[in-house]
Amino acid sequence: MSVRVPRRCGTHGVTTIWKGPVMATITIKNVWKYYGDTAAVKHLDITCPDGSFVSILGPSGCGKSSTMRMLAGLEHISSGDIFFDDLRINDLAPKDRDVAMVFENYALYPHKSVFENIANPLRLRKTEEKAIKERVEAAARLLEIDHLLDRRPHELSGGQKQRVAIGRAIVRQPKLFLFDEPIAHLDAKLRAHMRGEIKHLQRELGTTMIYVTHDQLEALSMADYIAVMHDGELQQWGTPSEIFNHPVNAWVAGFVGEPAMNFLTCDVIGEGDSVSLRHRNFDIPLLPQQVRQLNGGAAAGRARMGVRPDALDIALERPGGPSITGEIFVNELLGGDMLVEVALADTRVRVKTTPEFTGKPGQTCHLTVNRDKWHVFDTTDGHAYF
Amino acid sequence: MTEATHFGKEGAFRLAGDLFRAREHSTEVEARPISDPKPRPTSFNPPAPKRYYLYLMAPAIAILAFISLYPFFWLIVLSLQDVDIGGGEWVGFKNYARLLQDPRFKDGWILLLQYSAMCLGLQLTIGMILAVIVNNSKYEKFLVTALLMPMMMAPAVAGLLWLFLYNGTFGWYHWIFQSIGLLDSASILATPGTALYGIVLVDVWQWTPLITLIALAGLKRVPRDQLEANMVDGASPMRNFFAITLPNLYPVLLIAVLLRFMDNFRFIDHILVLTGGGPGSATKILPVYLFEVAFKFFKLGRGAAIALTLLIVTIVLGMILVRVFDKPKSGRT
Repeated sequence: MSVRVPRRCGTHGVTTIWKGPVMATITIKNVWKYYGDTAAVKHLDITCPDGSFVSILGPSGCGKSSTMRMLAGLEHISSGDIFFDDLRINDLAPKDRDVAMVFENYALYPHKSVFENIANPLRLRKTEEKAIKERVEAAARLLEIDHLLDRRPHELSGGQKQRVAIGRAIVRQPKLFLFDEPIAHLDAKLRAHMRGEIKHLQRELGTTMIYVTHDQLEALSMADYIAVMHDGELQQWGTPSEIFNHPVNAWVAGFVGEPAMNFLTCDVIGEGDSVSLRHRNFDIPLLPQQVRQLNGGAAAGRARMGVRPDALDIALERPGGPSITGEIFVNELLGGDMLVEVALADTRVRVKTTPEFTGKPGQTCHLTVNRDKWHVFDTTDGHAYF
Repeated sequence: MTEATHFGKEGAFRLAGDLFRAREHSTEVEARPISDPKPRPTSFNPPAPKRYYLYLMAPAIAILAFISLYPFFWLIVLSLQDVDIGGGEWVGFKNYARLLQDPRFKDGWILLLQYSAMCLGLQLTIGMILAVIVNNSKYEKFLVTALLMPMMMAPAVAGLLWLFLYNGTFGWYHWIFQSIGLLDSASILATPGTALYGIVLVDVWQWTPLITLIALAGLKRVPRDQLEANMVDGASPMRNFFAITLPNLYPVLLIAVLLRFMDNFRFIDHILVLTGGGPGSATKILPVYLFEVAFKFFKLGRGAAIALTLLIVTIVLGMILVRVFDKPKSGRT
């Protein structure tokens, strides 16, 4: 399948649809959602700034979809408040909230043509016929589906249905866009293409967007801010680089990043300024400021060290500084990179290196840790010391 | 398409004729690559001459011919005769010619269409409303059971029941109609102007639950995300119902309408029990008139002619209904 690169995406397309950006600051204040006795969302507090692209990231069942449905008005808010600017929208019907939503399964109307699908929000607001035609056509041009307007949804491919669904959302000027895993069902190549398109679209339109996904790559690559959720609780709020480089706990650190972070349970040895992490395969001292950040934590003398595959260097000869000694388990060539899995005494770690690496499975190797980029987590509650 | 590719693509569902031809081209069939993903299931359906299958089907065809086709053709023959006890006399199309001049035949049609339209309209409306209520209710199981009860009653029994309820002396419903000023002292069935409504009411009581059940099954499969998308797009619940729910229900409602309209053209149990076509000819819809002509006056020839016209109109109306409602609009996204 060939991915079509947009001929013309941008300002002149948008300006014919909309007059100027309408934005809103979305404030979620101590929101809870119960299904029976089960809490799906727990004391959620999020503030999405005007015009920002916010991604709610988490595995299935983490409460991200419930949050979105509460924003859209499709679920009742059990307790807490949601504000669009200063307007409390808890008790407003979906049609009065002025949001536009793109559903995971597109939710197109099968008995209507593409044109009528996109025109639906305008028709429901009694827009005059001439304006409907203009705006639907402008939206279709922007999304490059203007040649499909007469078709029915069942005649479209997955990517085209997706564009129609987005067209239906952007045809009118809502305060807030809600995207519920909109590209989860597309094939990998098209998904990568649509990521860029959606990001671009949001920049052009300037409207606040909340984008729910379970794919950390989508969140990292598109969002201005990410809210990581797990078990109904907000784990961390921050920019993609904050989430990636400074995860607040071991769960976030393990969920974000591909290939995933390596975790090693170590003993914390030493006092005063010289503290080191000791494992059967290594004994590496902390940097001075990291000793202060640890600040006598890890009381039981245990901690979890976390290090991403690209913060490790692998070599066959023992390097000068402190290193981890292990045995190569398997090499995986990933095009421009090579991923080496190294067996330690009780676990395996993955290291990202260059394809020029010559080690063979079974050979002894030495890993150097980039200590600016490693993390130490508490063994009991998992919070990050640094 | 050659036989070989034909068999490679089709699975187990092949016609007997294809099998037969396959034997003639057996070399081609066996030349298929071994890795064919769907090998031909030869073990349970050995190739055989065509007449072998005809022999197998013969008993079924014979029974069908005896109970269905023979009476049908006999009906056509009857309609061209003037039949009396003891034998018939060939009269050609005289029976049909007489029908055209028979005012009771025309009135029968008008009454039938009125009756059928009233029944269908009321049953569809009330049935849909009930279905929506039941679908949104906590007590769905109980309500469905309760709704089933009228349908389980034999129509003649239901007619008798309502005969008591309508009774001008002690009927409870009669008393209600009277106290809200709808009727004076005569029973609803005793006045030519109201008798048909009385019958319609009984039919609606007995058969609305069928529409409710069918619509309820349809409501269960209306895609929820479409309803939600339309809500976010700005639709009120009422608008949502007409824009999303109803179009999704067309295919099942078509079945309900077809069933009910054909029943209205066939079943006259209620009328025979309640009014027998009276008072005067106020409820003498065409099937009742047919019954009278054929089995009271024993004019079997004319009766057959009426029956045939009824059959033809039923078929034509049914086909129109299917055309109107069954457009390919239910493609899922």
